[in-house]
Amino acid sequence: MSRVIALCFLLLAAVIGFLHIDSRPVWVPFAVTPISAEETLEESLATKNKGSIKTSTPMPQSHWLPDTGAPSVHAASLITLNDGTVRAFWFAGSREGAADVSIYSSVYDAKSASWSAPTVAMDRISAEKGLSRYIAKLGNPVPARLADGRLQLFFVTVSIGGWAGSSISTVISDDEGLTWGNPQRLISSPLLNLSTLVKSPSIAFTDGLLGVPAYHEWIGRFGELLRVDAGRVIDKRRMSSGRSAIQPMVFVNDAQDASAYFRQTRSAGLPKQIPVSHTQNAGQTWQQSEDLVIANPNSAITGLVLKSGARILVLNNIENGRYRLVLLMSDPKVEQWQTLEVLEDDEALSNIERKEFSYPYLITVDGDDAHLVYTWDRKKIRHRYFPSEWMRQAFAKLQTEVQDKSQEKPQAASASGQGAQQ
Amino acid sequence: MNASMMNTLVQTLALIELSITCAVVCIWVLQKFSPNPLPFAAKIFLVILLGNILFWPLGIDLPLVAYVRGVTGDLSIVLTLLLWSSLLPSHKPAPITFKFAVAFIALCFYPFALGVGMIDPYAWGYGSIVFLATVLFFALVCGLANWSKGVWIIAIAIIAWSAHWHESANLWDYLLDPFLAIWAICTCIGVMYRSKRDKARSGYLFRPG
Repeated sequence: MSRVIALCFLLLAAVIGFLHIDSRPVWVPFAVTPISAEETLEESLATKNKGSIKTSTPMPQSHWLPDTGAPSVHAASLITLNDGTVRAFWFAGSREGAADVSIYSSVYDAKSASWSAPTVAMDRISAEKGLSRYIAKLGNPVPARLADGRLQLFFVTVSIGGWAGSSISTVISDDEGLTWGNPQRLISSPLLNLSTLVKSPSIAFTDGLLGVPAYHEWIGRFGELLRVDAGRVIDKRRMSSGRSAIQPMVFVNDAQDASAYFRQTRSAGLPKQIPVSHTQNAGQTWQQSEDLVIANPNSAITGLVLKSGARILVLNNIENGRYRLVLLMSDPKVEQWQTLEVLEDDEALSNIERKEFSYPYLITVDGDDAHLVYTWDRKKIRHRYFPSEWMRQAFAKLQTEVQDKSQEKPQAASASGQGAQQ
Repeated sequence: MNASMMNTLVQTLALIELSITCAVVCIWVLQKFSPNPLPFAAKIFLVILLGNILFWPLGIDLPLVAYVRGVTGDLSIVLTLLLWSSLLPSHKPAPITFKFAVAFIALCFYPFALGVGMIDPYAWGYGSIVFLATVLFFALVCGLANWSKGVWIIAIAIIAWSAHWHESANLWDYLLDPFLAIWAICTCIGVMYRSKRDKARSGYLFRPG
């Protein structure tokens, strides 16, 4: 008799379980911002006629994020606020991983070209109380915009061990980051939820849910796309496998197609280049593809797609060390990356004197400009701003150069062909 | 109920659940070193006492159970109910077949879930109908094998997952955790070792002369 009752209860559980699955949101395409191709073409032609970048073009600006008084800072990130200003997040403390590390925030006003005084967005004690568990350290703040307009901040916490023991937590703000709600834990790993981290900006799906590129770095070192509904992971897909690629950064090409670039963590003897994965079904399955042939010294990269279609990357394009940081641009039609600007370069200095320039993070406010923040020698966070006009002209120049090269090639081929006939 | 209150409730219930579980583990350890079995009333008294000591902050920033939760997270419903049910006077150990099945599943599951290859069985737990059907079939086999407790436990785990009882939205986290896997694997190794030892002894005593 007891067995019959148990089986009836199981039947009830089965019905509830199937209803639960049926109520879950289905996987949908990526939300895509349309690229203004016509505008780009016109500007490209105009620039071609006029020649190279004009001297009157607004030039890139450089600032520092405000000093918190802490000797160690790292992992800055940015988000555009509703009023067009930019909010930054970063962590600072006596040293990376110390108990006194807090996540700070500040707002950049483009009109006055200045950053506001820093405020604490999250500290260890608040995280402990909100998450109802012991937290030893926190880091890697990454903001996102929810479909309902609220601001969401993802960050990692560690209860035991090093960064490999991290889990992702999140808080939501109703007032653009002035105050924050209770933190919530994202569960994304079956092994005590250990070792899931976040570094790169989220991508949006058409149903308003976020795709958070996350990674594991304990037993395996691989990327995963978490489908997040506010404070809960509702699905996830593996973007790479093994022990060679972390910190995925996603370029969405269209509603179904996207490429993920990773920071490589390969062992000695293997290529120190950027691992790439590709999806053609809105992130449901990913295939690892050929590396992007740009050097990567096991260091974070960041990227951005502009409204013009131009893609930009900021990274350390060296095989060892983090003493050089460059801004690259590519036209997706030709997939050739060209250096726009060397942002930092300590190559001329000795090894001891070289500083670390790392953890870059890019956003755009109007779709054509770019705000960049990165760690400067672990002591400061540098902010670089590339105005829209400067970016547009740089892209036009890049397109012109690519066109010129493609025209030169057939001419050279036909000349060599004629030579062969003679 | 707004999201903030819901989150507070989930956190409090999780701490209560883990406090009871930790108290049960303490009693289990106590019994291992005790020559006489503890009466049921004494076990309940100890669970209440230890559970309260673990749950309330007692002058420090966090309750003791929050330190445990920092390391373990939320334990699976299956492990929690197996532990809790061990206090009952009518308690019978789980069948060895169940332990072997858990050990086998864990050994197959964890390597792939932790990054071997591009197939991620953990992702099935978010909403795969095939996976849910497989879990139900497993529970049905437990019932047919006359282990009704197993049916109850798996059914409660499925309902807890559907009701978002824990922070996780993944069915795997309600069914399996590393401690359950370690317990099953260690028990299976112990059973196999004892079986081999007994076989060797019987072979020594009764081998044909």
